[in-house]
Amino acid sequence: MKQHPLCTDTEQAANVLDLTVPAELKQEWAALQTRRHFLGRTGKVLGWAAMASLLGNRNLRGDTRAPGYGQTAAQAGEPLGLPHFAPKAKRAIYLFMSGGPSQVDLWDYKPNLAAQYDKDMPDSVRGSQQLTGMTTGQARFPVAPSHWAFKRYGQTGTWVSDLLPYTGRMADDLTIIKSTNTEAINHEPAIMLMNTGNMNAGKPCLGSWLAYGLGSMNDNLPTFMVLQTKLNTKENNQPVSSRLWSSGFLSSEYAGVGLRSVGDPVLYLTDPNGVDREVRRKMLDAVNEINRETYAELGDPETNARIAQYEMAYRMQASVPELADLSKEPKSTWDLYGPDAKQPGTFAYNCLMARRLAERGVRFTQVYKRGWDMHDNVTGMLPLLCQEIDRGCYALITDLKQRGLLDDTLVVWAGEFGRTVYSQGGLTADNYGRDHHPRCYTTWMAGGGVRPGITYGETDDYSYNVVKDPVTVRDFNATILHCLGIDHNKLSYKFQGLDQKLTGPVPASVVPGLLA
Amino acid sequence: MASLGLSALLLSLPWLIKLDGHPHADWQQFLGRFHPLAVHIPIGLLVLVPLLEIAGAFRPVLREAAGFVLGLALASCLLALALGFLLAHGSGDAGAGVMRHLWGGIVLTIVVLLCVLARPWWSTQAELNVYPVFLVCMMIALLWTAHQGGSLTHGSNYLTEYMPASLKGWTGLGSQPSSATASFYVQHIYPVLDANCVGCHGETQAKGGLRMDSYDLLMKGGQDGPVIVAGNAAKSILFQRITLPTDHKQFMPAEGKPPLRGEEIAWIKAWIEQGASPSIAALAGVSIRAESPEPPIEPVGDYSALMPEIQQMDHTQGAKLKQVSAKPSDGLVLFTVDAAGSFGDAQLAQFQKFAPYIVEAELGRTAVTDASFDTLKQFTHLRALHLEETRITGSGLAKLGTLSQLGYLNLSGTQVTAALVAPLSSMKNLRQVYLYNTPAQPASAAGEAQSKERTTP
Repeated sequence: MKQHPLCTDTEQAANVLDLTVPAELKQEWAALQTRRHFLGRTGKVLGWAAMASLLGNRNLRGDTRAPGYGQTAAQAGEPLGLPHFAPKAKRAIYLFMSGGPSQVDLWDYKPNLAAQYDKDMPDSVRGSQQLTGMTTGQARFPVAPSHWAFKRYGQTGTWVSDLLPYTGRMADDLTIIKSTNTEAINHEPAIMLMNTGNMNAGKPCLGSWLAYGLGSMNDNLPTFMVLQTKLNTKENNQPVSSRLWSSGFLSSEYAGVGLRSVGDPVLYLTDPNGVDREVRRKMLDAVNEINRETYAELGDPETNARIAQYEMAYRMQASVPELADLSKEPKSTWDLYGPDAKQPGTFAYNCLMARRLAERGVRFTQVYKRGWDMHDNVTGMLPLLCQEIDRGCYALITDLKQRGLLDDTLVVWAGEFGRTVYSQGGLTADNYGRDHHPRCYTTWMAGGGVRPGITYGETDDYSYNVVKDPVTVRDFNATILHCLGIDHNKLSYKFQGLDQKLTGPVPASVVPGLLA
Repeated sequence: MASLGLSALLLSLPWLIKLDGHPHADWQQFLGRFHPLAVHIPIGLLVLVPLLEIAGAFRPVLREAAGFVLGLALASCLLALALGFLLAHGSGDAGAGVMRHLWGGIVLTIVVLLCVLARPWWSTQAELNVYPVFLVCMMIALLWTAHQGGSLTHGSNYLTEYMPASLKGWTGLGSQPSSATASFYVQHIYPVLDANCVGCHGETQAKGGLRMDSYDLLMKGGQDGPVIVAGNAAKSILFQRITLPTDHKQFMPAEGKPPLRGEEIAWIKAWIEQGASPSIAALAGVSIRAESPEPPIEPVGDYSALMPEIQQMDHTQGAKLKQVSAKPSDGLVLFTVDAAGSFGDAQLAQFQKFAPYIVEAELGRTAVTDASFDTLKQFTHLRALHLEETRITGSGLAKLGTLSQLGYLNLSGTQVTAALVAPLSSMKNLRQVYLYNTPAQPASAAGEAQSKERTTP
């Protein structure tokens, strides 16, 4: 076997006897390498190997997930035994509100706060919590009641802010969680925690776990797709990047594939002039042949992932144009999603695209909407943001429902944390700012597996602490996995000596109160 | 003489040391908990005895062993009985099931003792041949006692829970408490208590003297008095216990069993506060979604022999058959989205072989036509059928009428008409029919097409 340039394997690298070590140590080393040792060890190795094959492939091989070096179970044609039980949802759509939407202004109705306007929030509410550097120096923490009124919607009488009139109309279909809470107070760790179950980068995200665990329903499209919403330059846009849809230590073929919000949905997917499909096929066959040789020589699993990705790109050359062609959508679609949906890259367009991906068997679609990080000028910015997403969310749920897809599609709406009830910076009669708030924030789910028309969890009078039925990020993710037929404790992958899970090592539990 | 004395002692044991339903010393429970372990020794030995005696007719040496085994069995019977008594006494169990099991154990031990006494006569060919009779009695007592014990640990319906319905009806086990009296207690309170509490507070083990398996017993309460104070949930012990912090020593359900769900607690609270009546039909402030319960999932047959072919279909047809879950009896899902345009009636017919194992068929956007209904009607376990955006016109839809499990039918974006869909309303389990963007779509409020219609009456 040829040595890989990056190989650091000691057996390949250098002979011990060539190293600069004391002569007596070399002698001892040589003495240990007797024929008896060799025979003894060989015998044991053969014995263990025989036993491993007798006991089946699992226990002694150590890595329970990889049936052969560099091969995932799926590649080897060996089922992972998933879903663990009959799932309610076959696919999921995750509308991610990056930046931290204000639960105080959108969902967590606290009518009694009006009387507290500009009064100091009692210290007992905040307790010993450490704040961010942005407000920790503030002399006082004046309560800023929401600028907007709330209305009751639907048969359930759910309170929803006037900022979300469309969303309110589907309140009876939503499972609203007021008690979501996180451990992270800043964007980067919090958004990583929501997506990968860990504040540090390098772990696979929810979508990758699903792609790895459940596999594809449609070989012509990626199992996990990411749609980014066009930027609104007025907003305070915290960056999102591909680390949020990274496959971490799982094979890179499980990483999310992004569709661009402007221009071609996927760059360089169209063949250049003069290259037809047949030429492309021949070229790929040749490249694959070379890659397979490389894999045989070096055994790097990433080479296989590369082959798989080339093939996927080839199939996407046919499937993506069909996906992105909205000309056959009936007029009722545009009436539902509104005029924004005709413009690629808007949130409404992405919602429509998410519905089309769901119809085409894509397991997991994540739509990112940035700009919710409103440290100041809430009354200026929040209506813009809500106006951007409100109709899209409503249209997506309604459309899935009328097409019979909501029964087996789980839709999730969440940000990485909430916002403080007290004002960051100055509080005036018609404006205020809100800092990051991890202790409680509102999220919602809808569709396959969750119970519609309920509000779960309660917060205190200041929308500051959870007082009933807390849902941690771990529980939140465990519940999502449950809806898709996965026991979060069983979906694991051996890496760095640990059985890694989306929900991490701290015990997590599915929230039964959310389930249908 | 000694054996007579021992029998008398055993018989009077329950009177000598009364099982008063109160827990006693911890050491008793500690030792007593070895009872389920020790109890299997006499069971094994006792079953062996008649076998050895019968086999001894052919190989005399085995008959010699039978005497030794019988003696050993008696000793282990006494040990198991002692441990069992300690368990019952120590944990304060005195339910009817425990008492039956205890009496069974006593009778069994005495019968074994009689066997030991009668065996020497029998082996010396004396005319008094009672030993075989005692052996038969012993086996009956053993079966009965073991069954009582099993009912204590696994629950009394453990054996019959999954009995086929037809057999249940035949044996008369199927009679459930009549739900004709649709009171709130019968419909919502009793099922919660039955699922979470009756295991320990029921006929088999009345812990704390409390039984909750009927309304009267529940209201009677336990050794600490009534557990329900009608009209006052906060003063009702039952409500107090289920709302303690889950790690509290007195929290119920005990022993790490899952707590009641929030809404169940809310029902109990409302029910107590509004009088804890057995007959009240509805409670103010409590609305429970009336749902037709989903039909139980009928397991599909064994298709393991077809697995290689199932995997092969993926390569040849472009359509996939995937298992619903790791449990094979949940059936298979047919995915065709890969093949979409090229998947027509002929391709569907190829799957006829797997028809009884397919519970869900995703045929949306494929080239199937009305002719496919002839194939589909053979998918006897089909629960969900996707035909959206296909060239289906609806003629032949009635053929699906034989699919008794079908609960979901998606015809969105097809040309089906209301007249052709109408016959489907007679299908009992069909709960969701999607007709969005079809001529059959019911007219509704502007822009908000609600195509989801309930076809159940």
